[in-house]
Parts: sequence; structure tokens; C-alpha cells
Amino acid sequence: MVAALGTLRELAHALEAGTCSAHELVRQSLERAEALEPALGAYLGLRAEAALREAEEADRRRARGAPRSPLDGIPVAVKDNLAIRGEPLSCGSRILRGYVSPFTSTAVAHLERAGLVVVGRTNLDEFAMGSSTEHSCAGPTRNPFDPERTPGGSSGGSAAAVATGSVPAALGSDTGGSVRQPASFCGVVGLKPTYGRVSRLGLVAFASSLDQVGVLARSAEDAALLLGVVAGHDPADSTSLPQPVPDYAAALSGDVSGLRIGIPKEYFPEQGGNAAVFERVRAAVAELVSAGAREVTVSLPHTRHAIATYYLICTAEASSNLARYDGVRYGHRSPRARTLAEMYRRTRSEGFGAEVKRRILLGTFVLSAGYFDAYYRKAQQVRTLIRRDFERAFEHCDLIATPTTPEPAFRLGERERDPVSMYLSDIYTVSVNLAGLPAISVPCGEVGGLPVGLQLIAPPLGEPEVLRAADAYQRRTDWHRRRPAEAA
Amino acid sequence: MDAPGITLEDLRRLADLARLELGDGEATALAADLARILGFVRQLQELDTAGVPPTAHVMELATPLREDEPDAPLPPEEAIRNAPAHEGTAFLVPQVLDSDEA
Amino acid sequence: MPRAGSRYEVVIGLEVHTQLRTRSKLFSEAPVTFGEKPNHAVTPYCLALPGTLPVLNARAVELAIRAGLATHCTVHTHSVFARKNYFYPDLPKGYQISQYEEPICTGGWLEIEVPAAGGEEPQRRRIGITRIHLEEDAGKSIHDESLFGEGTLVDLNRAGVPLLEIVSEPDLRSPEEAGAYLRALRELLRAIEVSEADMEKGQFRCDANVSIRPEGSRELGTRTELKNLNSFRFVEEAIAAEVGRQAEILDAGGRVQQATLLYDPDRRRTRVMRVKENADDYRYFPDPDLVPLRIDPARIEAIRAELPELPEARRARFEAELGLLPREAAALVRNRSLAEYFEAAARAHGDPRAVARFLLRDLLAALGDRQPDETALPPEGLARLLRLVDDGRLTARSARDLLPELLERGGDPEALMRSRGLEAVSDAGALGGVVEEVLREHPGEVASFRAGEQKLLNFLMGQVMRRTRGKADPASVRELLLRRLGQGG
Repeated sequence: MVAALGTLRELAHALEAGTCSAHELVRQSLERAEALEPALGAYLGLRAEAALREAEEADRRRARGAPRSPLDGIPVAVKDNLAIRGEPLSCGSRILRGYVSPFTSTAVAHLERAGLVVVGRTNLDEFAMGSSTEHSCAGPTRNPFDPERTPGGSSGGSAAAVATGSVPAALGSDTGGSVRQPASFCGVVGLKPTYGRVSRLGLVAFASSLDQVGVLARSAEDAALLLGVVAGHDPADSTSLPQPVPDYAAALSGDVSGLRIGIPKEYFPEQGGNAAVFERVRAAVAELVSAGAREVTVSLPHTRHAIATYYLICTAEASSNLARYDGVRYGHRSPRARTLAEMYRRTRSEGFGAEVKRRILLGTFVLSAGYFDAYYRKAQQVRTLIRRDFERAFEHCDLIATPTTPEPAFRLGERERDPVSMYLSDIYTVSVNLAGLPAISVPCGEVGGLPVGLQLIAPPLGEPEVLRAADAYQRRTDWHRRRPAEAA
Repeated sequence: MDAPGITLEDLRRLADLARLELGDGEATALAADLARILGFVRQLQELDTAGVPPTAHVMELATPLREDEPDAPLPPEEAIRNAPAHEGTAFLVPQVLDSDEA
Repeated sequence: MPRAGSRYEVVIGLEVHTQLRTRSKLFSEAPVTFGEKPNHAVTPYCLALPGTLPVLNARAVELAIRAGLATHCTVHTHSVFARKNYFYPDLPKGYQISQYEEPICTGGWLEIEVPAAGGEEPQRRRIGITRIHLEEDAGKSIHDESLFGEGTLVDLNRAGVPLLEIVSEPDLRSPEEAGAYLRALRELLRAIEVSEADMEKGQFRCDANVSIRPEGSRELGTRTELKNLNSFRFVEEAIAAEVGRQAEILDAGGRVQQATLLYDPDRRRTRVMRVKENADDYRYFPDPDLVPLRIDPARIEAIRAELPELPEARRARFEAELGLLPREAAALVRNRSLAEYFEAAARAHGDPRAVARFLLRDLLAALGDRQPDETALPPEGLARLLRLVDDGRLTARSARDLLPELLERGGDPEALMRSRGLEAVSDAGALGGVVEEVLREHPGEVASFRAGEQKLLNFLMGQVMRRTRGKADPASVRELLLRRLGQGG
């Protein structure tokens, strides 16, 4: 099988040095992706013809000394809930079967402007609702380290693609952990920016106040490079932040002296949880301390309410965001409908999977008359309490460190029976979305041969800090360089 | 079989609001799922949130406004390109029986 | 049709949806059009394609503020957009972005003139306005019958067009008051250029909430909602019909059910469209794709300063400064174009009351459907015409006769007067001959007048006027006749 691709940094150097062409890279990427499918299940589709053509154009630009950016011509993958003009957009759902988007999401437009070549669309839990990529209508993606296990979700396809090296980096989306958790399960780096840092235009909405486009890569440095490409204010997104984008790569000084790392005591209970996971995470923090950082104990007392809060808010917003899938203007329409009422009901029932239906119903309940105050409004109030927890904690520390997930990758089918057990795997990630904070997951070890992730959380617009700490950690360790067995 | 907190009737009403059609087996399973989830989220009730403002938006932003300048619309063929059914450039759906029922 | 009689008091509240004068839609850059072919004015947002997002139109906000200020509302510096969730083919997102708990304006009023019976002075009343808010219009669904069966065509050109919803307090007490309110509101919106409010284009739509209660009762009766009322006349008729229907029910000892009704103008009856068992559950919640609308108080004041003079302020000024009678002032400010025309003419002429009288009595009739500024006669021209009458060179009747041509083709009133040979005859010599002729031909009437029948003077005057073809100055004729009749023989 054709070799795995290197990092963005390595490929950029190679292109600049002329040791390879963009066309060669993209061809290598496509071949490797194809070879790993369908066993891996990371991709829903490859756009080989268009990608090779774009690669040729990149080579021509480089030849005349006018590359669009240092990353011009490098292949990447994009989660299939980000619109690309002229490409199918499935969101892992039957209800969007046949749908082709007439416009491109802003994040992908930024990729194009930098010359990056989108080789394919990656698999996801349907409408990004899930933590295992088992809820895709196209079937699951498998964990590259163990094909009987999930790669995490909902950006499981992107994480697996990066982990197996068909692309150096990929875009995903993160609403409750959907970039960080699969990054953790697949041994790669996953970054969710501050809410509003990356435009949501063209990102198919799941929970509007929580969704963010995220990046998956092999190193913090690569994550910094890719974030720098996609971040920025977008006047077409009313929740987009106006602040200018700093040079994230330039902030990677490797220096963490004096950095105060907060350890939330509620996240590392005396009893329960996976001791081995905690041990790996604590060791990672110790590594940073030995590099000059300081460990501080902090408290996030409303942590235990985070999952409940999250599932009330995200399902409420989702139930409204998914009302547009009705068979009238695009996507699937039930052939069995004789009246309009039948058309709506049958189309949506045929088109949505079980998890999506569950969440729509829960969300409808949460917003319905008589329950709004007790559930939705209450959840929004608890959300304020969670945000305040973080604000108070950040008075005493610069970053907060936690495990990304309580357990490493679970088996396929293991959590399907009990939705609540699936939801609980998000326990460390959801409060970050609720508070709108930036966070990164970096590989920090293995338990039972499966990757474990360290999560670092910063205050709003603290991407430079999390990237610097993550990068410093990666200069001293090599967990991020370990690849799954078959990808040697 | 009703689960505490969510009756089958509740569920059918929700399914109706959400325009979802549920088979009997599906309805029962979903009612149970929802009851379990609701049992789990009910713990929020125990929290004292008196005087706590709800978070509608995490970031404080000035209201973004757009100048009143029209842009070129989609070419009509593109507007209906993904349409399951259309007549001319209008979307076609089964007849709306009564002015309000859909 | 049964009437409510004096046993019941009628309580009416009106909800008006008016389309704002913007070039693009409320949350997208799609153009606002009328009469376009289906789906020729839509963008991905209008189609609710996956991944689309709303961005608020600045001008729509400005117009909403203007409307709020003109109706004396509190314009809130913090308001929230909320989603109203329901399914319908003309609602592409499956929700409408509107405002719910925190609208942009609340607590205003509109002054209306209540028509009074039999020549009495009309009364003025203030009708409360509960709230004004911004929301998206829906698209259009049209029933379609083709060879393949029946279906519905969906056109989303109108989906997302900015609307202002204006809700009145249930302060209206009769169909006529409802009509007066709607006319005043429409005129105001046009005067401040917030909406063209063309009812035929669907830019001004009204729903009415109607209930009745026994006279003297404080409790409100069950109210019904009348929808799709697309002319002022239909609004008044529909309300009257509904009041009759409800009265019949109560008279028979029944109870009025909450319902939505349509009006059948041919049968002059309201028809139940849908009985409301429970209120619809729209599951309103603040739209997470939009941040709250924050308005700088300084901006509100700037918009207030730019408001044109409002009708009721103008009416008060006409009474106080120009000395018009209340009835005259009210009639003139009902129509902005007429009010401005009047003021310019009054300024040019110098006697506002005389101008007002002529305008209301003679000009309106001659105008027909036209607005004064749609004719060829500028206000200064009207003033010149009136001065000819003042100088006695033209009779009032002749002035009336000249109007149609002046309005149609313009020109100098004096020149037109001469070319039509309408110059008044007041010269005693010329008139004297006519007077003699008339007295000679009607000896009987002359004798009767001298015997005491004073009113025959009018007859004799009429005869003189006829012979001079209206050109004689009536005052001079009267004087001459009286002198001759007083002389014997």
C-alpha cells in the first residue's frame, strides 16, 4: 500500500523544496484512501478528478512562483457536513440523499483560497449527532487501532483519515466534543476553537449555539497552521467574532515556564473512572510541569450537570434546525405520500435515523408549552453557572487540563442500547462547548493499546495558549507520532 | 407500555409536532428512551438558579447588521435543481387539504 | 342580517402585517420583488438550504424604529429575535424568525377620527398599540390542478421579505372604528415612508379579533379571529357579519367557540375555517443564529429628528395656527398629499380658511381618484384662481367650471378664464339691461314680490344668472334687483 502522508509542515517543505509535486501528493492521498476503504469506512466519497485538477493548478502556480500559500496543493479531507459547491452533502443521512450544494462553506472557501485540495468527504454520525460515527446511514467508521472499536464521533471519519495518513489534516465539527473525542480515540490532535472563531456559514447546523468547525491533524503545529487558514470574522455569520486572527504558528515558542495548569478536582475523582486513563493524563501534566509549568487545583462544581444541560440545549436547537428537512425543496421525499401531511411524516420518518429522531423528539419536548421553563430555560441558566465556573477557575490558572474522555475507544455496538451511556462519554468535553471555550486534545499515551487524550482548555480566544502548551508537550514526547499498526 | 414521565400519548403528540411517524414498537422504545433521558436530566431541577440569567449567547457581540443592498438571486434552475418535484420553477407538493393542515 | 343591537358591546383588536420598504429581504440579500416568476428571487437562505444563516437588514431596523416613534411607542434598545416553529410548505426553514417576548416596540397609540351619526362633529379617540415587531414573510403556496392531479405549487420569492407586525389593543368598538384605524395607520405608514402599504400587492394585511359582551360587562367575551381580509370595506363588513353571528349565538343561549374564520363577501357571512381546540404550540425560543438587537439611544433620537410632521400634529397646527375648524383640519390631514397641497396653496393665497373651504367643497370632487400632486395644477395656481374670485372677476361657480381643465392641462387661470369668456359680469350698465328684461318678462313675480313674497327674489336672480350664463356677480345682481324692485313700476 502506498505510504502514509507526512505532516502539513513536512509536505509544505517538500513542495517548496521541489522534492515532490502537489499532483503526486494528491494522487498518493487518493490511492491510500481508496486502499483503506471500505474496511476503514472513513470516507463517504472522494472527488478524485477535481482534486487532481486542482493539484495541477497548484503545481502551475508554484512553478511560476505564485503559490497561494505555503500549503498550496496539499490534500486535506472535510467532514461531510460542510458544504462544497457542486459536491454532494449528505451529513450521513438518508434525508439528504442526492442533495448537491450550490454554495461553499466559508471554512472550505478559506481552504481553497490557501490552495489546499479537498480530496474527499468524511463519514460522520448523522447530522453530527453521536459520539461513535455508528449513526451514519453509510455504516460506521472503524477505529484504526482496533477495527472492532469506534473511532469516536461525530467526526470519526476525519479522525480516522488523519490517523491512517491518507491526509495530513482534516476539518471536522465539534458541538459537544465531536472533534476532540475522536481525536483522542484515534491518537491524533483535535482542536475546537472559541465559539465564533471560525465561520459557521455552510456548516450544517446541529446546535447553533454550540457548533464550531474544528481541525484534526497529527501535531499541534499542524493544527495551528490549519486553524490560521480557516479562522476569521465572517459578516455572513451573525455569531462570528470580529477579533483579528493572530499568527498561531508563530506563537509556538515551546516555552511554558510559569504557565499555570488548573486541575479540576471534580474531574479526577478519588473513586470510579478509569485509573489508567487518569494516570496517563496526570503524567502528561507532569511532563509540562517539568518543562516549567505549575500545577494548580481548581474547582468546576457544576461539572456534574454539564451533560444534562448539554442534552437539553442541543436537542432543543436541533429539533428546530432539522425542521427544514421536509422533502419539499431538496433531499429525500417519500414516494408513498398522497397528501402533504403524509409527505412530511413519511419523508422525515424514512429519512432520519433512530438517534436523530430521539433527539428531535427530546428537543421538541424541551421547547414545548408547559415544559419550556422547567427544561430549556433552566438548562440555559445552568449553562451560565458552568460558564462562571470556568471564569472563576481561570482567575487562578491559564489553562485547564483534563482527560479528553473517561475511557478509551469503546466497542462497536457497545453503547447503542443505552443512549445515556453514550452521552456520558462526553462528560469532559461538553462543558467546553457550553462555555464557548477553545480546547485541544493531544495524544498522551495508551491504555490497552488504545490511545488516550489530554485535553487542554483555555479562556475565550486562548487558542495561542493551548497550542503553545500542546506543542511544548509534543516537543518532549512522541505519542503523537505513533501510528496504528497497519499504517506502518 | 408507558414509562414514568413520558406517556405514549405524550410521545405521539411530540411526534405529531415534529412530523415524525412512529410504528408501535418504535414508539414504545422511544418512550422508554426519552423517559430514561428525562430521568437523567431531571437532576437539574435540584439546582438553585434563582436570579441566574439564561445564556442565549456565549460571546457578547454588537448586533451585526447588513446594508440594504440586494444581491443577485440564484438562477431559477439552480433553485429547483435539488427539488424532488417541480412544475416550471415552482416546487410541487401534494395538495394542501385545508388552509392550515400540513 | 341580525344586528347586535344595543345589548352587546363590540370589542375589536386588529393585527396588521405591513411589508417594509426595503430593497433586500430581512435576513438575506435576496431582492424584494413583486410579480416575479416563481423562485426567481431566491438565495440559498430563502430555500433554507443546509448551512445557511441569517444576517439582519439595517434598513429594516431603521424603518421599524420609525414606525414605533410615529406611533408613540417605546422603542426598546434591547430586543430579541425568536423562532416560531411550525410546518407549512411556504415556510422553508420550518420556523419563522419573528420576535416574541421582547419585541422592538411596545406601548404606543394611534389617533383616529370616529365617524359620528348625522352631521355631528366626528370624535377623536386614541387606539392603543400593544406592540410592533419585525418578522419574516412566508412564501406563497398556490393550488394547482394539472393533468397529473391536484397539487400545490410553492413559490418562495416572498419568503423572508421584511414585515412589521402591528398589534392594537382591543380598544376598537365598531366596524367603522376598525376601518378608521386601518385607514389612519395605512396613511401614517405611507407618510413616514415605512411601507407603500399597497393592499392589492399584499403589502398591508389585516386580521381582526372580534368578541362581544353584554353592555356594561367588564369581562371579555370569547374572541374569534378573522383572516384574509383584503380591503377596508371587507374588514368592516366582515366584522359586522361576525358580530351578528356571535350575537345570534349568545341570544340563543349558546357559547361562542374560539375559531378562525374567513369572510365570504358574496354571502356577507363569516365562515368557520378552523376551530381552535388548543392554542398552537409554536415552541418559541431565542434564535441562536442571531444575537440580541441592541440599538443605540442616540440612533433612535436621530431617527426621531428626521420624522416628517405626523398627521395629528399637523391637524393641531392647522387648527391653532391657521385657524381652521376641527372638521376642516381633520379632513385635510387624512391624506398627506392633500395636506401638503393645501398648505402650499394657503401660503400662496393668504387666507387658509377660504382655501380650505374651496378645497374640501370643490377641489376634492373635481379630483376624483387623483391626488392633488398628480394633476397639472400646482398649489400656486389654485391660489391664483381663488384670488380671481376674491377680486370679483370670477364667480365661484365659474371657478368650479374651470377646474377640470386646469387640473388636466394646467395653465394660467386668468388666461383660461378669458379664453372661455367667463369673466364675471358686474358692470351695472350691462347688468342693468338684463335686469330690466327679466322684470319685464315676469310681471307676476314682480308684483308678488312687492306684495311681500320675499323669496321670489331668488327666482328673479336665477333668471338673471341664467341669461348671463353664470357670469354675473351674484352680489351685484342682488343689489340691482332690489333697487329696481324697490322703485315701483
